[in-house]
Amino acid sequence: MWQTMTVRFMRWNRRLAVSLTCASAALALTGASPPTAPFVHKKKYVMGTVFEIVAYGKSLPQASVAIDQAFQEILRLDQVMSDYKADSALSRLNRSAHSHPESVPPDLYRVIEEALRYSRLSGGKFDIAVGPLVNLWKAALRGDRTPSTAEAERLRACVGYQNVELLPPDRVRFLSPCVQIDLGAIGKGYALDRAADVLRSSGLSRALLNAGGSTILAMGAPPGRAGWLVHLRDPSNQVDPQVMLFDSSVSTSEQTQPSLLSQESAGHIIDPDTGVPARTPFAVSTVTKTATASDALSTTLLLMGPEKGRDLVKGVADTAAIWISADGQLKVASSGPQILLPDGMQVGQERQNRIR
Amino acid sequence: MSSRKMFARKTVLTLVCLLPAMPGWSKVLLHWTQPSVPPAATMGIKEILVFWDAEALIRTAHRQGYRVYAEVPVAMAPAMVRISVQNELAGIVLNPGDSQPGQVDQTLLQLRSAYPRLPVLVLDAKAKQPQMKGQLVIKKDGILQVSSPTAQPWIDSNLALIRLDQAFRPAQTPLYEFQWDLDDSLQREQGPDTADYLLAVAEAGAFHADLILDLHPKLQNDLLQNNTAAWAVFNQIKRYLAFSSRADKDAGQPEANVGVITDTYQNSYEPVNLFARHNIPFRVLKTSDLRPQNLENFDSLVVFATPDERATAAIADFAAQGGIAVLVGWRGSYPWQSAQSVPAGEHSVSYAWGKGRVIELLALPVTDPEVFAQDVRRLLEKDKVLISLWNALTTVAVPYRVPGSGKEVVELVNYAQEPLRVQVQVKGSFSSILYETPETGCCESLTPVQRGGFTEFVVPSLRIAGRVHLAGGTPATR
Repeated sequence: MWQTMTVRFMRWNRRLAVSLTCASAALALTGASPPTAPFVHKKKYVMGTVFEIVAYGKSLPQASVAIDQAFQEILRLDQVMSDYKADSALSRLNRSAHSHPESVPPDLYRVIEEALRYSRLSGGKFDIAVGPLVNLWKAALRGDRTPSTAEAERLRACVGYQNVELLPPDRVRFLSPCVQIDLGAIGKGYALDRAADVLRSSGLSRALLNAGGSTILAMGAPPGRAGWLVHLRDPSNQVDPQVMLFDSSVSTSEQTQPSLLSQESAGHIIDPDTGVPARTPFAVSTVTKTATASDALSTTLLLMGPEKGRDLVKGVADTAAIWISADGQLKVASSGPQILLPDGMQVGQERQNRIR
Repeated sequence: MSSRKMFARKTVLTLVCLLPAMPGWSKVLLHWTQPSVPPAATMGIKEILVFWDAEALIRTAHRQGYRVYAEVPVAMAPAMVRISVQNELAGIVLNPGDSQPGQVDQTLLQLRSAYPRLPVLVLDAKAKQPQMKGQLVIKKDGILQVSSPTAQPWIDSNLALIRLDQAFRPAQTPLYEFQWDLDDSLQREQGPDTADYLLAVAEAGAFHADLILDLHPKLQNDLLQNNTAAWAVFNQIKRYLAFSSRADKDAGQPEANVGVITDTYQNSYEPVNLFARHNIPFRVLKTSDLRPQNLENFDSLVVFATPDERATAAIADFAAQGGIAVLVGWRGSYPWQSAQSVPAGEHSVSYAWGKGRVIELLALPVTDPEVFAQDVRRLLEKDKVLISLWNALTTVAVPYRVPGSGKEVVELVNYAQEPLRVQVQVKGSFSSILYETPETGCCESLTPVQRGGFTEFVVPSLRIAGRVHLAGGTPATR
């Protein structure tokens, strides 16, 4: 199902504070009951952001130990997927796979395999093989000069997912001398999925896992609730879309906000087609079954935009997406999950059987 | 009341408020709430803070060997003269709560008149528990989760509050207290993690402020019952207290090349908070302090207050000599507007003025303090950045320097509470780099690398608190 609604609001930009206020009100309106069951909440700095896990367990110590084990799994994966740590498996791959096929750990092989699948699915809009371009623009964000068109063009010519070849069962080869892999658009989601595996193996079934707010994975639901209610990023601060997660995930992507004092523009999301930061007014949130998928698709759908993105959403089972701009443009697509809008309009197929 | 009498009264009030203040009174006071307390000799600390009306505890603590400070809310201060343990007190801490500044000053005057021999200090209760925040908000009615693009870790730091307090109440070392943010069942039962206590102590020491540290009731009771685990926790806290007390309070003023001009916490707090978060060394001045001689060390000015004629002249002069002034949210007629303007950001215009420029940002409050702080940092030319950190998204660094000493101290606080390897670049050339932490003591020698007027070094492991001593060279000059 596809519905488009364009609403224009006066720009109002208090962001998180306002979102949380709205969230409080919304919770009250939905009649959410207090979480009487004890839960454990922990957070950890890893992969350059804050991972959080809230979990209900048979006992607080059980939940606490399980969360610690899940964090250990995320730390382990950081050591595999980090492009910052010189001794990570990814860094070794980026140094050596230009000259010969490199054996990689199973997790790295698997996440690259998944990423290439989304690259093919999106016609290259999702691309992990644009590391040099990402690094170029990251430097601009830190205050270095804005790269020239020629610099970006030169790099764009030698990067791209077609330059990454998988050689089963565990080897990777680069087909271009300058290509490098950056897992920033999928790695946190993959880590959440593996952390959830650890929680399940520890006997937990009700947990919410969060990677920096941009990817959230729900296991089951809190006691007495239908699911985990998540308020989605809304740059207009007027719509307050929500999603009820139950064994599913949501990810949000948005380009870096433009400078207030300068006309130079940089950004952390690079359009592989142009080699420069994507210019889009939208924030996009994507709901899927796994965090790997939602993480990858949110960046993809931000780059594709709502018009092209809806076809992708329709073609992937159990997926929904919402695009919202600061001036109130709102577009929603779904092949299953519901995204709840405040006026009662629900977009997507009824899936009450999964919301218990 | 005649204006002369009013003036005289205000003058006396100001003097009384200022004279007994003790700017050097820099410490962490443990707040004790249980009816009894272990002896001072057992605890290994000499000073403690209790509520003003806990007379039995004040008496007991005094007998146990403590210098006892009493915390009293403004509303209850008049009643404090009736307590029977005044002679057992070593000092008074006035908690303003929601009182108006005038009422706080008046109460301060009354207390200082009633207790002329006691230090009476004003508490800033707006502080937050220092911590690396998550995105989940735990409330009574549920767990709130708002999705967002990936953001840098949000740090709740008290540096901005401390810098604002230093400007608004200059006669007193900033003194603050916060409530623990215990949001899950386990934490409410057990109290803060040990690392949370350590971070709080580390922060106050690094920022050269005074802290009242609330000990969780469970920890107090466990200490009273001689619980081994509790004493292990407390011994770690003491190690951090010792480290913080070794912070060289004579290390001079915090280095700053960004001046923030404001007369209120409102409008300026969040942007200033983000300056702290992004390691932009700044100092806060009131508009009345906006004189050319006070701006000599600044490369940039960020002005939140409406300047009068004299302040406008100072800003124009600052820009004419090569500075960059950013004026936030006010419109008016100013001399630099005679120059041709060019659009800057979405709501800002820039005027070239002499060797520098003035940027007027029309939005107030600043719509996106995070972006604004990054903009202000980018406005500084690379050779004017005093300190830069890499691999340090959860670290706040504050450089201190005594002019002419050839030495500099950088205090580091890591809010992630787990060891980080941090790369640091400091403006100036230094040949000796010594690094100390509460865990390892003083000092490990680090290898400096000189590059283009900067000194670079790597801090091998910063868990929560670290202090770097730089010497043997030429500090930055401006």
